[in-house]
Amino acid sequence: MSFAVGVLLLAIVTAMACALPGVFVVLRRSSMLVDAIGHAVLPGIVIGYALTRDLGSPLLILGAALAGLVVVLGAEWLGRTGLLTGDSPQGLIFPALFAAGVIAVTLNFGNVHLDTHAVLVGDLNLAAFEQWIVGGVSFGPTYLYVMLAVLAGNIAFIAIMYRHLTVTTFDPGFASSIGIRTGAVQTAFMFLVSVTVTAAFHASGAILVLALVVVPAATAHLLSRRLPATLLLAVVIAAGGAAAGFGLAYVLDAATSAGMAVFYGLLFAVALAIVKVRERRRHRQRPTVAGPSSQLPHPHGLHPHRG
Amino acid sequence: MSPLEFFADHTYRIVFAGTVVIGLVAGALGSFAYLRKQSLISDVISHAALPGTLIAFLTAVVVLGTDGRSMLGLILGAVVVGTLAVLAANGLTQATKIRIDTAMAISLTVFFGAGMLLLRVISNGDYPGKGGIADYLFGNASVITVADLVTSAVVGGLALLVMGVFWKEFALRTFDPAHTSALGFRASAVDALMFITIVIATVIGVKAVGLVLMVAFVITPPAAARQWTSTLRSMVALSAAIGAVGSGTGAYLSIVLGVPTGPAIVLTLFGIFAVSIAASPRRSVIMRGLARARARAALRRELLAETGATSGGSVASAGAGGSVPGTRSDGVGQS
Amino acid sequence: MSTPTAARTRSLSVAYRSTPVLRNVDLDVPEGVVLGIVGPNGAGKSTLLKAMLGLVRPLTGTSEFFGRPLSQVRQRVAYMPQSASVDWDFPATVSGVVGMGTYGRLGWLRRPGRTEHEATLRALEHVGIADLAERQIGELSGGQRQRTFLARALAQHPDLLLMDEPFQGVDARSQQAIVAVLHAMRSQGRTVVLVHHDLATVRDYCDHVALLNERLVAAGPVGEAFTRENVRTTYDVTDTDALADLLT
Repeated sequence: MSFAVGVLLLAIVTAMACALPGVFVVLRRSSMLVDAIGHAVLPGIVIGYALTRDLGSPLLILGAALAGLVVVLGAEWLGRTGLLTGDSPQGLIFPALFAAGVIAVTLNFGNVHLDTHAVLVGDLNLAAFEQWIVGGVSFGPTYLYVMLAVLAGNIAFIAIMYRHLTVTTFDPGFASSIGIRTGAVQTAFMFLVSVTVTAAFHASGAILVLALVVVPAATAHLLSRRLPATLLLAVVIAAGGAAAGFGLAYVLDAATSAGMAVFYGLLFAVALAIVKVRERRRHRQRPTVAGPSSQLPHPHGLHPHRG
Repeated sequence: MSPLEFFADHTYRIVFAGTVVIGLVAGALGSFAYLRKQSLISDVISHAALPGTLIAFLTAVVVLGTDGRSMLGLILGAVVVGTLAVLAANGLTQATKIRIDTAMAISLTVFFGAGMLLLRVISNGDYPGKGGIADYLFGNASVITVADLVTSAVVGGLALLVMGVFWKEFALRTFDPAHTSALGFRASAVDALMFITIVIATVIGVKAVGLVLMVAFVITPPAAARQWTSTLRSMVALSAAIGAVGSGTGAYLSIVLGVPTGPAIVLTLFGIFAVSIAASPRRSVIMRGLARARARAALRRELLAETGATSGGSVASAGAGGSVPGTRSDGVGQS
Repeated sequence: MSTPTAARTRSLSVAYRSTPVLRNVDLDVPEGVVLGIVGPNGAGKSTLLKAMLGLVRPLTGTSEFFGRPLSQVRQRVAYMPQSASVDWDFPATVSGVVGMGTYGRLGWLRRPGRTEHEATLRALEHVGIADLAERQIGELSGGQRQRTFLARALAQHPDLLLMDEPFQGVDARSQQAIVAVLHAMRSQGRTVVLVHHDLATVRDYCDHVALLNERLVAAGPVGEAFTRENVRTTYDVTDTDALADLLT
């Protein structure tokens, strides 16, 4: 397999692995939490590298993913204290973890060789550097197989937990009432996201991994009305956009993840235009029909706790 | 390095003064973002500002033929594009079923991704002064010039002046959004003003501490200050002080220890926040937790005593019949 | 104990942080009745349901269903939350949401099969929205949303149904459809508890009532417990006109 094809495949598989849990991230309104996780795994990766000496080590990926859970659980805990407002808990924790990671990288802690640019947007070429060669034949980058394993893990998790994820996302109160442990599902799911983000880190860095998780999923959410369709569409958009973004970055000699983010942005804009045109046409055909009823007023809907 | 040696050095003095100005302005104005529960909006602004600073650089170099790294141009570009990104995020939530967290994530990454592509185009091209622009990501305090310092002090000072002049409106809008319009203030005008000052507070640190970690300068000082204060005036003042002191200390430490300035300041600020939330007398996490547990226990005793006095019989019978295990009240009812 | 009870709480108290919301509630819900929980805003009505179901942790006291802890009889108890509490843009159809009612029985690995499919269909027909089965849930009216939630609860085949404000934002037709379902359940000997806002319809919809304002003021058959005096105490009104307003 040629090097460029290997890098392209790595980009596509990484994008698919991220987009799949991304659908539930978007529906659970946890998008900015993924931003926090993306930053927080950096110190985990640095420490993991110092211990394992192998950026593709499964131990490193699982261990560093725990740093992502620190943000998730830490922000939940800080929020529960009632001492902080709004979305500030996660915004307090992740810059501190990220700053610690950046300092460790610049001090060459544990001889981890990442330049600060790669920390932000990843370095796909570096990740694809080590090839899996059997009997003189290259089977592509070894890291491709790591990402394939993560993709398979995500597919398996979502297949097994599909009903639990769906019902806890849609209506957590009801889910608890039928005996589902919503908190445990949330923690398990966020750990899965954290593992995915850690594994994708080399491909897309701390910031643009967020684009891979959220943008294809959001585009699919705009276009589809059934969850299975949303999942499928998200993966297709992720793969197609990854290939095109790879080309864009290749032409500009820029980071692949940046090309992917911009191309995903374009796809999202196209989807938005399609939806708007469709909406307008429907309005013209059936002028009496009310819009999406989410916009109907809920006259008594504003006392969530008591009553 | 002793503080005396530190301040004897011209470059270090500028670094110190530059970061203190950034910390002070971001700390003061961040209070409003914090109290309006929109802390993460500053993360969107700072990341999305990257292409803005680069467009400003290109405009200066290619069109105007001036120094691309002029602070005023950078701030202007960042403010314009950062604002666009936030408007895009808000517009998405109004026009579609996309929620604000996802809208923010899309806006942040697409703008930042475009910025990274542009950065590459510039560094592959032949532009004078392009060497310093990669520093906009993590900042490089040692490249701040006296002119930069003056510019950021003036721009930041203007933002603080706006806050001072419209103090009453800002305060009302922050605590009682419904009330402001009733009083006849143009709510949207106040919002726009407040938002612009927050954007300025967020992008003022482009050169010295970088865009990537600016969110911490905007969130952390107010979150720390809030634990010690209970009025808006004292909170903004303390937040500004924490921002200034934390930034100055962090800048000093970064030079002494030879680590990047932005991350060093962020960790210093986080340390101040951690102390605040653990040890402030009225809002300490530990004391609060204890006080709440005590109040709950007292309430629980009071409620249990009540049942013992009024309806002991029925409670006893309930205790006998397969109650939910793990709650301790059934035993008490029988006593 | 003469009549069997579907649900019972003893000394049930809940506090959010350290503010009490419910104080020592002793409530018995006999089997085969429709019981309405009424009281002013902030009286703890929804909290009472949530505490009974273990969705909020009680400060004191216990709840049981059919004489057993909830964990042993979960299949017999269904809960219908307020419809305002969920995201109606969620990518799901009406039958998909109603099908969630069968998840509790399925456990981990079993996939929904014919039994579940039929239970879903029956529930949809029962509340009169079978024609909407393949609709995206975002396209429903307020009343249709509540009927979807009700159908989801019915798909659980509950012996006891706990409903939080089922008539909120609901048109008259859906309200009638919901009431018909409740009365049908009662005639099968099943039990319904609903948090209710409108005192004027208590006599039409419910046979039992519980008047709640942090404490349980009174509970029992409507004829005995739903007195002017008890309503006055619960809503803390002294003025006769204000009381009349509440009741009409």
